[in-house]
Amino acid sequence: MRQQQNTSIAPLKTVGHATPRIDAIERVTGKATYTNDIRLPGMLYARILRSPHPHARIRRIDVSKALALPGVKTILTHENCQVVWGAGGISGGLQYNDDIKKITKHRRYVFNNPVRFVGDPVAAVAAVNRHVADEALGLIQVDYEVLSFILEPEEALKPDAVKIWPEGNLSLNAQNQAQPMSTRRGNIEEGFRTSDLVFEDRYTTAFVHNAQMEPRSCVANWDGDKLTLYTPTQGISNCRSDTARDLGIPPEKVQIICQYMGGGFGNKNQNQDADLITAMLAKEAGAPVKLEFTRKDDFIGVHGRWPTVQYYKVGVSRDGVLKGIQLRGYSGMGGYRKNTGTIGGIDIYQCPHIDSVVYPVYTNKTVSGNFRGPEYPQGFYGIESMMDDVAYKLKMDPVEFILKNMTRKSRDEVPYTNYSLEECIRRGAETFEWKKRWRPQPGSDPGPVKRGAGVAFMAFRSALGRSNAVIRLDAKGHYTVFVGVTDVGAGAKTTMAMIAAEALGVPVSKIEVVWGDTDRCPYSVGESGSRTTIQTGYAVVQAAEALKRQIAEKGLPTGDNVLIGSASPNPTLEGKVRAAFGAHFVEVQVDTELGHVRVLKYLAVHDSGRIMNPLTARSQIKGGATMGIGMALHENLLYDRRNGQPLTAGFYGARLMTHRDAPEIEVIFIESDDGYGPYGAKSIGESSKVPAVAAVANAVFNAIGRRMKDLPITRDKILGALA
Amino acid sequence: MKPFANSNARDLQNAVQLAQNARQDGRTASFVGGGSDLLALVKERIAAPDVLVNLKTIKGLDQVKPANEGVSIGGLITLDILSRHDLIRRQYTVLAEAAETVATPQIRNVGTLAGNVCQRPWCWYFRNGFPCYKNGGNTCFSFGGENQFHAIFGGGPSYIVHPSDTAVALVALDAKFRIVGPSGERVIPAADFFALPQQNPARENVLAADEALAEVQVPAPRAGTRSTYHKIMDREAWTHAVVSAAMMLEMDKQVCRSARVVLGGVAPIPWRLPQVEQMLAGQRITDTLAAKAAEAALEGAKPLAKNAYKVPLTKGVVRRTLLELAARG
Repeated sequence: MRQQQNTSIAPLKTVGHATPRIDAIERVTGKATYTNDIRLPGMLYARILRSPHPHARIRRIDVSKALALPGVKTILTHENCQVVWGAGGISGGLQYNDDIKKITKHRRYVFNNPVRFVGDPVAAVAAVNRHVADEALGLIQVDYEVLSFILEPEEALKPDAVKIWPEGNLSLNAQNQAQPMSTRRGNIEEGFRTSDLVFEDRYTTAFVHNAQMEPRSCVANWDGDKLTLYTPTQGISNCRSDTARDLGIPPEKVQIICQYMGGGFGNKNQNQDADLITAMLAKEAGAPVKLEFTRKDDFIGVHGRWPTVQYYKVGVSRDGVLKGIQLRGYSGMGGYRKNTGTIGGIDIYQCPHIDSVVYPVYTNKTVSGNFRGPEYPQGFYGIESMMDDVAYKLKMDPVEFILKNMTRKSRDEVPYTNYSLEECIRRGAETFEWKKRWRPQPGSDPGPVKRGAGVAFMAFRSALGRSNAVIRLDAKGHYTVFVGVTDVGAGAKTTMAMIAAEALGVPVSKIEVVWGDTDRCPYSVGESGSRTTIQTGYAVVQAAEALKRQIAEKGLPTGDNVLIGSASPNPTLEGKVRAAFGAHFVEVQVDTELGHVRVLKYLAVHDSGRIMNPLTARSQIKGGATMGIGMALHENLLYDRRNGQPLTAGFYGARLMTHRDAPEIEVIFIESDDGYGPYGAKSIGESSKVPAVAAVANAVFNAIGRRMKDLPITRDKILGALA
Repeated sequence: MKPFANSNARDLQNAVQLAQNARQDGRTASFVGGGSDLLALVKERIAAPDVLVNLKTIKGLDQVKPANEGVSIGGLITLDILSRHDLIRRQYTVLAEAAETVATPQIRNVGTLAGNVCQRPWCWYFRNGFPCYKNGGNTCFSFGGENQFHAIFGGGPSYIVHPSDTAVALVALDAKFRIVGPSGERVIPAADFFALPQQNPARENVLAADEALAEVQVPAPRAGTRSTYHKIMDREAWTHAVVSAAMMLEMDKQVCRSARVVLGGVAPIPWRLPQVEQMLAGQRITDTLAAKAAEAALEGAKPLAKNAYKVPLTKGVVRRTLLELAARG
């Protein structure tokens, strides 16, 4: 049955054909209007004063000198602005909504006292221009009572650790209990008892920033009691509902506009404190306000991936069958819990006994939140390094170990809608020439320059869900598609146009897409969780069907008449589980004398269902793999342990990958159509980063014969391990 | 950013005058060429000059000219032009190679040679505004802190490493620097331009108030001379040297007549290795000699808690660069 699903799928007319982005010309000619390009009459400029301390109580703030500076219009602090930023700190780290709002005890305000990380906003100034606003920041006098601080997640749970919140440093769950997150299957003691061999190890991952090109910015304008926010958001709908909830106004009084944005990778999901601060400044000042983050503001003031400490204990039989997996993990959430802090990965193995306990803890580092596959790249690095190591200890080829132990046709007895993981791995190993590139004896190359190969695999959620679309047809034969997408970078506008063209049987050139404006577009889920193509794309198909039924019934519109088709589908999986699958194969060369790692060959094999647009789909895989290499080898927001100060904020300091660092990445899609989603589309965007970190780290081990257990795998660590 | 006034200089004397005028009015002045470093410091409030004296308006200070059988290079030449200059590439290879490793194409398009040589350290404590020696304080935060990229030679009381690639090349080339200031001009060897923190922990060189590096004079290479710059970076572009080596060998067939070996990224100044130079003079450069030279190069290194890896790394760089350069035809 599997073969049947994965054999070539029937070609379509538009979907599946390489199609340039419909807004490519606007973007590359500078015509596209990004938030920072918005200028409104009488607009003021805002700047944020941030805490210079990792943890401190504010005794007093004196803004009188700053207010006296000519050109300064408004200053907000925790004293005159007590807006709760709902999505900024949530019990359980769940998606923010009315129910979660009621529960959440550890409330995060836009200005907090005490401040809990270097970069926590203390005050915001609106002034006639950027320079005056900037100068005013220096005139605000803050008297801090400096408190002791915590940087490392494990230290946060020690009995003598300073309490970042009154209830302690273990973040509360959705029932307001200080409990770790637990997943159990079978009986772990039984698992280890029936194992021939049991291995234990510890892996750590660093805080890495989303590092999207466009720093956060926002323009707010009030027209009476109606607020318009121009803001680069990944979800106009949830940005609107969050903002309305936080400001206590009806959602229809909030309009969110995002026409073009420069990426986000998860840190522009929902609303941000920047949106609320700008809205409040504009209200107080009675004028439109623009707030622009500097790169440093963006690095330390928004969020990144949570750093983790992962202790694994793995039991296997002598012939390499998993018997038990235990994880005790710690995730550093920063001063507020913006996401779950889960450490994902164990669930991709078939194992009868699992015991996973993860502690999401508060620290005084920059906040952790959504970032491309939020809980996976760090979790997969840990578990897939651990399993790779177990394979070597059993004298097994890691590919064979994976094939023996990976998730099979069902997960917890729930069947997948289609299953192609084995094909991804076998086809990848063959194309990559795994047997030729992999060294059975790691580190065995003669001479100081050594090569090695690594592999990692993944399964990533491809759930269905509700979304909306409206399509209008006029008498001239023009179709206008209204969808609440913003295009975070994956090309959603183009994808929606292609899906509409396919469903309507017309060329893409006949389709106009209206996006990124809550007053014009219906609800969309938001470009997070790799689900816009699946959910909103499916709504577009359904809206096209509705429109076609009307045409069949009423005929084509004439004169001033229009026909409108709309759909609000909420499809379900009917007792199945749906996942994208993939495997990455990496060859590296390590110069052991200079400690330098170079990626020589990179192959990514993915089943993301039917590919809508090969151009943008390939870019998603390449981008995710590149990010994974960066996380494996380069990036880190380094802190000074003595004073809690971040040292490497920014593209230079965090050593992000440059174009010259990015290797050629070969992409193979194994296409499938499981009958769900628009034409069988599954998730792509996040999945490409998920196995990348582990694959690179495993390749480094194969080259040098030393297991690198702490990210990033930098030169000092490699030379240290080989010394 | 603190607001500043811009003052365009007509010539070098005028530039010095403008700086002095500002100072007499109780204002602070800085010379600015490409501005790629200074303006970043101003934006971050690490530097806060009242007046920027713009040197870019001085004509003719961006040229490579023959002089005394060598060349004189105007301080305002951009790193990009310098790296692609035919004569420099051929005869002063180490300088062209150093210039082309700097930062990014955008920065090389505006950044100047003098600016590169005079740029402030890229220590993360300094750049993040910590009250360290370089920011007017009296401590070095790297000591006992995050010192992965700090000095293994010549440190104390500050442990910064000098950030300039071209500086290392210029010391290897035995260049001289023409400095213009309130008391006229002076010409000093490049090696004397850079100052250890023991001398003055707040500064990296001997420039006095209102003095500017105007021009670099490089002597003609002797017959058989070849040179190269080898830079270790933490990514393929846009990092300062973790470690670098500038080498110039005067070869007579297989024999090295004389050598100049200077390291970057290891000390608060370009770090010349006279003991290695002596070891190489009059010798054939063999694998054994290169390995001995690499060992000698690291004699006396004093790594900090987190930069011991620089010792084997630098050895590798010295050994390989030497062998590769000797083998170059």
